[in-house]
Amino acid sequence: MATVHLSEARLAHNPRMSRVIERILNLLAFLLTVGRPVSAEEIRFTVAGYDQPEDEAFRRMFERDKELLRQLGIALELQPTDVWAVDFGYVVPEDGYQLPDPGLNDEERAALWLAAQVVQLGGQPSGPEALFKLGGAPGTLAGDPLAANLGEESGVLGELFGAVVEHRRVEFDYRDKPRILLPYGLVHRRGHWYLVGRADEEIRAFRVDRMGRPAIGEEADAFTRPKGFRVDQSIPDAPWEAGSDDITAQVVFSSEVAWWAQRQLSANAEVTEREDGSLQVELPVANPDAFIGWVLGFVDEAEVIGPPELREKVLARAEGKL
Amino acid sequence: MTSSKTAMRLTRILSMLPFVIARPGVSVDEVSQRFGYTRKDLIDDLNLVFLCGLPGYGPGELIDASVEDDEVWVDMADYFSRPLRLTPPEALVLLASGMALTSAGQGPPALEEAVKKLSAVVAPDVEASLVVDLKEPEHVGMLRDSAEQGLAVQITYTALGSGQTTERVVEPWSVFSANGNWYLSAFCRNAQAERVFRVDRIRNAAPTSEKFVPPAEPPPPEVRYTPTEEDIRATIRLGPKARWVADYYPVEDLGEGLIRFSAGDASVPARLLLRLGADAELVDGPEVAELLDDYRRRIAARYRGTSPS
Repeated sequence: MATVHLSEARLAHNPRMSRVIERILNLLAFLLTVGRPVSAEEIRFTVAGYDQPEDEAFRRMFERDKELLRQLGIALELQPTDVWAVDFGYVVPEDGYQLPDPGLNDEERAALWLAAQVVQLGGQPSGPEALFKLGGAPGTLAGDPLAANLGEESGVLGELFGAVVEHRRVEFDYRDKPRILLPYGLVHRRGHWYLVGRADEEIRAFRVDRMGRPAIGEEADAFTRPKGFRVDQSIPDAPWEAGSDDITAQVVFSSEVAWWAQRQLSANAEVTEREDGSLQVELPVANPDAFIGWVLGFVDEAEVIGPPELREKVLARAEGKL
Repeated sequence: MTSSKTAMRLTRILSMLPFVIARPGVSVDEVSQRFGYTRKDLIDDLNLVFLCGLPGYGPGELIDASVEDDEVWVDMADYFSRPLRLTPPEALVLLASGMALTSAGQGPPALEEAVKKLSAVVAPDVEASLVVDLKEPEHVGMLRDSAEQGLAVQITYTALGSGQTTERVVEPWSVFSANGNWYLSAFCRNAQAERVFRVDRIRNAAPTSEKFVPPAEPPPPEVRYTPTEEDIRATIRLGPKARWVADYYPVEDLGEGLIRFSAGDASVPARLLLRLGADAELVDGPEVAELLDDYRRRIAARYRGTSPS
C-alpha cells in the first residue's frame, strides 16, 4: 500500500512561508467557525502561530496577515462585540469569503482558461489563481501565446473595476485637474481603456492611461447607477464624436484614399460616392480638434468643404498657426 | 490578482480543498492536473494542511489529510469546503479576456456562456458596466484561416507612413491584436523577410493555393520597431497639448518637452507635425522639414486653388 506519511514529510524548503500559511489557515479556520466577532487579543492567545511575547511583534504580524487575506479576496470586517458597541472584533462575513457557485461546467472553465491565456492584460498573461478558485483548469491547454493585447494598465484597472462593481467614488487627476467620478463602467475600445461615470453632473469618459494615480473611496455603495445605463453607449464610435460641439462637416476624399476613409467613418456619416471614385461625406463632429487632426493625416487627399469656420481652422493648423 | 508567492500558494490550497472535500478519494493525477500541481507540491501542501485546524489543535481538531493508494482524502475541514470569492482584478481579467474573444468573433459558445455565468456572480449588472470591444476588420478571418492551413496569401497593402501601395505574396504566420489594431505577422516573399502588416491597411487579400512550411519557432507576435542607421531622425519640441505623442510613439525623451523621433520614412513624423500644427515645432531634421513644407504647399494648393510650386 502506497501511503505517504504526511507528518514525516515535513516541508524542508521555505519554512518561513510554511509558517505563514499554517498561521493563516488556522486563523481562517477559527474565524469561519467561531460565529461571533473576535478581538485581536483573543486571536493572539487562541490561534496557533500568534503567540508572540512582544505586543509590537504581534501587531506587525497581524497587520501583514490582514493584508494577505485582502490579497486573497477575503473580507475581514470589524463589528461590535456587544450591543453597546464598546469593543470591536473581527468577522469574515459569509459573502466576504465564499464565491457563489456560477455553475460552470468543465467545457466553460476550459474556454475561460484559454481566453485568459491568449488575451494579455498588463504585460503578461494572467496567473491561474482566478481559475483555481473556479474549480481549476480541466486538462492541459495551450493557446496562441498572444492573440490580443488589452494594454498595460492592469493594476489600476483592477482597482477601478473594483470601484465600479462596489460602487465606490474615484478621485484622480486628469489633464492637470482633480476630478471626482462616480464610476459606472469600464470600456475597452479602439485600443484604450475608458472609465465612464458621472462627474460634475455629466456623463464623462476618461482614458485610463492618461489618469493620474486614482484614489478609491472607502465607502462601498456610495451611489446607485441609473437604471438602464449602458456603458457602451457612452463611448462614441469615432474620436471626433467625443466632445461637446455640434457641427456638421462636409469633406471630400479623393479616390486614392476613399477606401481608407470609409474604413474609419462611423455609422453616423452620410457617404456619397462620386463617379470618379471620390467620396463626399457629411458627418457630425463633436470634437473639432480630433477631426482636424484626422483629416490632415490625409494631407491633400481630403478637403473640408464646410462649414467655412472649420475649413479655415484646417488651413490654419496646416500652416502651423493653430 | 494575488501578488505575493505566499498569496498564490494559499489561493491554490484554498481552491484545491473544496474540490477534494467534495470528491473523497479523488486521484492525485486529477487534482494535480486541475490545479497545476506536481505530485511533490501537492503532497507538500497537504502536509501543511495536515498541521492546521481549530484551537485545541488535538487529534479531534486538526484537519485530516492523506494520500493513500494515489487517492487524496481530506476530512475534518468542512469550513474549507467553499471556494474563495474572486477579487475584482481577478474577475476583470477573466471577464475582459472572455469578452475580448467573443467580441472579436473568436470565442466558442462555451466561452459566451461562461462569461454570462461568471458575470452573474461578480455583479448583477456587470454586462452594462464592462465592455471590451475588439471589432475585427475585414480579412482577419481569412488571414487566420490561411495561417492555420499554411497557405500563402496575395495582398494589396498600402503603407501607413508613405501611402505607397504594393502587391505582395506573403506567408501568414499569425494574426493578433495590439493597442486597438489588428496585425498580420508574416514572411513577405517580395521583401524576402519577416514583416508585420496592419490588417486595416490591407485593401485586398486573396488566398493562393500555394502551401508553405511555417518556421518551427515563429517570432513572437508583437509590433516591433528597431531603429536602424538608415532611419530618418527628427528632433521635435512638443507643446503642452501634444505631450501625449511621447507616450504614443516609440520616441526618445530628451526632457523639457523635446523628443527624438526615429522612423523608416520621413512621412511619419511629417504627417504627425502637420496634425499637431502650432502644438509642436520641428527643431532639427532636414528631410522631415522638406516633406512637411511639401505637404503644406499641397494643402494650400488644394484649398486656395493655387498650383503647387
